[in-house]
Amino acid sequence: MHELGLARSIAGIAEENAKGRALKEVRVAIGPLACVERGALEFCWDLVTESTGIAGVELGFLDAEGDTFVVRELEFMEEA
Amino acid sequence: MCGTCGCADPANEVSMTNPETGVKTILNAALGHGENQSHDHEHDHHHEGDDKPHMHGPKGEIIPLEAAILGKNDKIAAQNRGWFEGRDVTALNIVSSPGSGKTTLLETTIKMLKGEIDLTVIEGDQMTANDADRIREAGAKAIQINTGAGCHLEADMVASAAKAIDPKPGSLLMIENVGNLVCPAMFDLGEKMKVAVISTTEGEDKPTKYPHMFRAVEMVIINKMDLAAHVDFDEAACRANIAEVNPNAEIYCVSAKTGDGMEAWCARLRELAIKP
Repeated sequence: MHELGLARSIAGIAEENAKGRALKEVRVAIGPLACVERGALEFCWDLVTESTGIAGVELGFLDAEGDTFVVRELEFMEEA
Repeated sequence: MCGTCGCADPANEVSMTNPETGVKTILNAALGHGENQSHDHEHDHHHEGDDKPHMHGPKGEIIPLEAAILGKNDKIAAQNRGWFEGRDVTALNIVSSPGSGKTTLLETTIKMLKGEIDLTVIEGDQMTANDADRIREAGAKAIQINTGAGCHLEADMVASAAKAIDPKPGSLLMIENVGNLVCPAMFDLGEKMKVAVISTTEGEDKPTKYPHMFRAVEMVIINKMDLAAHVDFDEAACRANIAEVNPNAEIYCVSAKTGDGMEAWCARLRELAIKP
């Protein structure tokens, strides 16, 4: 179940780059050869972000080529 | 069903097939969103291209990142690669399912190359140091990494083990990964190449069942050839399956137990070792 470790890495990258701003969604790009199962990653995402600074932030998926596996975009909450 | 998060993607489907009846049952409901359950996302998914340029101002801003999720591992792997090159050490990442004979292959290799090429071994298993003990008894330095619940070795584990084992210039460092044909494909350890070991008792179709791994390797060793006749192993079919997912893979048919075919593999290792 390496998706758990991957979810932790994604959460780390998101928190580091958000620099304290409220995130709405983290979007990862996954290629068909990346060896990553979206359902498992989604499941792990909720586990690893629970009771952290990014709890409730959505994990979104974007299609990509080859073995791409990157955090492609961070979407922030609209500021009031 | 939703076409954006992957739950509608047939490639990500988890299913159970009864080979007698041909009936296929979808099992991914527990992790995904379930069958016939339309789910509305509260947000729009943004797809590549359909929302460029971004029309967001400072409010609800989207920033592009392209941050490699395995970036931390890849960075350490690159450091390992430099460390190995700087010391004239050739590192091979040996992957297989449990029980294909990786450790026996290494024991025989150590004995055959004794006095010629120095060989050290990093052993990865979830638990026990049995394999490292076997390697030591065969006459080589070994270090055991126990990953606990972990299903694969990562670059930082290899970095620590390599420093501890301190391989000599001109030597071969064999990294015996955790027996698993899935996850180790993703994790670069800094090796020169990955080598997959399969055995005749596993059947001919391992390469097509685990294509990610067989695509990632440069060599495939078919072990336990001494048992081939007893288990009706079809070597030509196995070679065709390897070629289907990885046409460039070098293939060595050996019996690590009897030594048959081991000379060709050892000759290849002599080529790979850097002359100091």
